[in-house]
Amino acid sequence: MGTVVAIREFDDPSYDPFNSDEINFGDTLDPYPLIARWRAESPVFEGSYRPHMGLTSALYPDRKMFTVVGTKEIEQALTDPDRFSNEGYKFNLGITFGMGSISTMDNPEHGRWRRIFQKIFLPQFVKTWGETIVDPVVHDLMDKFIPRGKADLIEEFTLRYPFEVIYRQLNLPEADVNTFQRLAIGQTDYVNYEKAIEAGEKLGEYFIALVEERRRNPGDDLVSLLANTEADGEYLPELVLISFLRQLMNAAGDTTYRGTSVLLTALLENPDQLDAIRNDRKLIPQAIEEALRWDGPVVVQLRMAKVDMVLGGVEIPSGSLLDVVAGAANRDPAIFTDPDKFDIFRDRRAHFAFSRGAHICVGQHLARVEMTRALHAVLDNMPNLRFDPDKPAPEIRGSMMRVPRHLHVRFGD
Amino acid sequence: MPNVIVTTREGEDHSLEAGSGLSLMEVIRDAGIDELLALCGGCCSCATCHVKVDPAFASALPPISEDESDLLDSSDHRDEYSRLSCQIFVDEKLDGLRVTIAPED
Repeated sequence: MGTVVAIREFDDPSYDPFNSDEINFGDTLDPYPLIARWRAESPVFEGSYRPHMGLTSALYPDRKMFTVVGTKEIEQALTDPDRFSNEGYKFNLGITFGMGSISTMDNPEHGRWRRIFQKIFLPQFVKTWGETIVDPVVHDLMDKFIPRGKADLIEEFTLRYPFEVIYRQLNLPEADVNTFQRLAIGQTDYVNYEKAIEAGEKLGEYFIALVEERRRNPGDDLVSLLANTEADGEYLPELVLISFLRQLMNAAGDTTYRGTSVLLTALLENPDQLDAIRNDRKLIPQAIEEALRWDGPVVVQLRMAKVDMVLGGVEIPSGSLLDVVAGAANRDPAIFTDPDKFDIFRDRRAHFAFSRGAHICVGQHLARVEMTRALHAVLDNMPNLRFDPDKPAPEIRGSMMRVPRHLHVRFGD
Repeated sequence: MPNVIVTTREGEDHSLEAGSGLSLMEVIRDAGIDELLALCGGCCSCATCHVKVDPAFASALPPISEDESDLLDSSDHRDEYSRLSCQIFVDEKLDGLRVTIAPED
């Protein structure tokens, strides 16, 4: 495998896609006080979220833009398909992942393809990947730093394991992995959009060849499964299939890396809660849900107004783009008491970290499996886990997407 | 207008009038019973509107689609009375329907 499929690097090999994070997703230490001020003033207001957070605009067309921070209005924007469309994503995700990305579609077209992907990622199926794929990946990574008694859990673990899980699911040739990851990350460098487009093109041609190859020689991997899936007697349209595969790295890799990083950071910042989980692992699911609520990786979703409307008292013309700050609802004190506090014992209410509505995260069950296996492995292998006193404390940063850059820890004696 | 009786997880009964063209999920949600999460908003994309339906009404219900069945399989609490309430549209045939909200997964 790998002999017939060539992967092409960026034309400029010195381009570093891993440096694109801050300009695209922000480095704000804590956006929530500002969001709380906005919510107190108005649930909806004119202007895009990005410049309000000090970020440059990225691949947005010249349209009226609004920011939505009121919980009721967020719910409406995410769950009322008569007034709110996902077509806004055609201007950014669609350009790099492809117009076949189901994130850019509305029902019924969206549902037609989503149901096929959704079925693959149902809990009863992804839980089997916990043992067959996630555990071996996690243990391979941990074996490298456990003997040392200290580690940067971001650089050495959380930044790597969800991507490794995808490579194994796709059964990618080992030699292609480095370039593949650079292209996959580069796809969302919307501020340097020519790089994002180049990455999308190169990943696209790679996946087209890979799909052809897996149709000739199918294995038990996800590319083979999708390449040979039929709807109404035909293969999935190439545009839908390739767009999905392009998006998978961002949707399944990047988000889980961030979610796991926030979970571990929050538990280390609250050692009493970490101890509680050590003493009773049945608390793991609620710890994961609380981490996703408290500082979920994806703060904002984009929607487009399908009709003229009044939302939250603000007139919104048809065609306007709305930055729907779902992360704001996760910190709404009307829903979550003392919302800025990380508390795994709080009354459980449904959070917005996987969004809501027809586009609710299709990979949410896999994300939970991965985070669960990761946390079990941390508890199994790192007794007396604590911050490294000789290194800076972690800082969760970002206004579009959140993550700490480093998490220096010690464990053992 | 048909009437449905919804039993919450705490065992509390609510008698609800079902407006025309609404799904059972929408009837329950619009009554403010927020333990029925219905996170996807009613397009058979999650399993958070799971209810148990009175067997007396089994023959009056629409058949379970493959998608609905796959989603119900993701619940630890599925049994022969399980349905996703977003997939049941309440009409006169279902007047008097009794359902219980399934335990949370």
